[in-house]
Amino acid sequence: MPRFDTLHAAWMVWDVPAPAGGGAVLEHTQDLNQFLAEIERRAFRMAQMALRDPDDALDVVQDAMLKLARSYGTRPSTEWRPLFYRILENGIRDLQRRRTVRKKFMVWLPGPKDDPDNEAMDPLDSVADGGPDAPELMMQDQAMQQLESSLRALPARQREAFMLRNFEGLDVAETAKAMGCSEGSVKTHYSRAVHSLREQLGEVW
Amino acid sequence: MQDEAAHSADTALEKRSRALFQESVESVDFAMRSRLTRARHAALQAAGGPKRRGRFLGVSVWKPVAGVAAAALLGVALWYGPLSGTLSGNHGVTSDSQNTLDDLDIVASSDPGSVDAIDMLQDDLDFYDFADKAANTGPPA
Repeated sequence: MPRFDTLHAAWMVWDVPAPAGGGAVLEHTQDLNQFLAEIERRAFRMAQMALRDPDDALDVVQDAMLKLARSYGTRPSTEWRPLFYRILENGIRDLQRRRTVRKKFMVWLPGPKDDPDNEAMDPLDSVADGGPDAPELMMQDQAMQQLESSLRALPARQREAFMLRNFEGLDVAETAKAMGCSEGSVKTHYSRAVHSLREQLGEVW
Repeated sequence: MQDEAAHSADTALEKRSRALFQESVESVDFAMRSRLTRARHAALQAAGGPKRRGRFLGVSVWKPVAGVAAAALLGVALWYGPLSGTLSGNHGVTSDSQNTLDDLDIVASSDPGSVDAIDMLQDDLDFYDFADKAANTGPPA
């Protein structure tokens, strides 16, 4: 968390209309920074699971941070979490759409087609180093890979509902806000996601 | 009974997947954590940037405006300066810019045979001093 020696330094980072006390601005900036610091790794992993590319995931997370800070930073901090995830999911969806368009376009171009989504995984990458818990770690890695591939196989809305509810711990109302749909839809998407995952992973888990 | 079994199985799946996800979050490497931190700082700073640029009464708005106006003024001066002399069509009259260049040339000149520029300037100052005194004292008797 950055420390600001002066009030001016804080203003350089966060420029909102000055309230009565200067301390409120400083606190507001720190709150937003702290909120983003708390969720950034989980958000990154969720984006990475959906996009399968760490750089793209980082871009989407940073973009979501920027949009939240710029457009909703002055909102009450209780609203930040669903808003952030709504922006993040929109970013993920936009990027996936762009990829789909790019794939269609690349079909018409000559030459080798480098598609990161279809790259064969090097089996050596998934082998853990020779520590004492190597077999356990390898099993965890395998389980995580299976979970990720099963999540990717889900329809986007079901995947979103499952990740937000189960991984991020949002309640139904917050998830509905993040997904931009009704609470009933959230319940339906979530239930279907769990059912599908259980069908896919049931034999392994 | 069957529902209860399914529910408990779903709960186990939820717990296991949550634990695995949390494990993967913890294992995000240091380089990526650093990149995320930098991305956060950049996002917070960038969020503050455009608002400052948009201030109406602040100085930041006028800096680029003043720069553009100065550049435009210079462009107009350069364009119309030589042009006015050229368009006059009178070969006996030189343009102002040409005069200015000549003046600069004389002042900068240090040829031994030419009039010393400092002396010229001193003469001018003496003249203006004299003219000022003359204006204040009125016509000589």
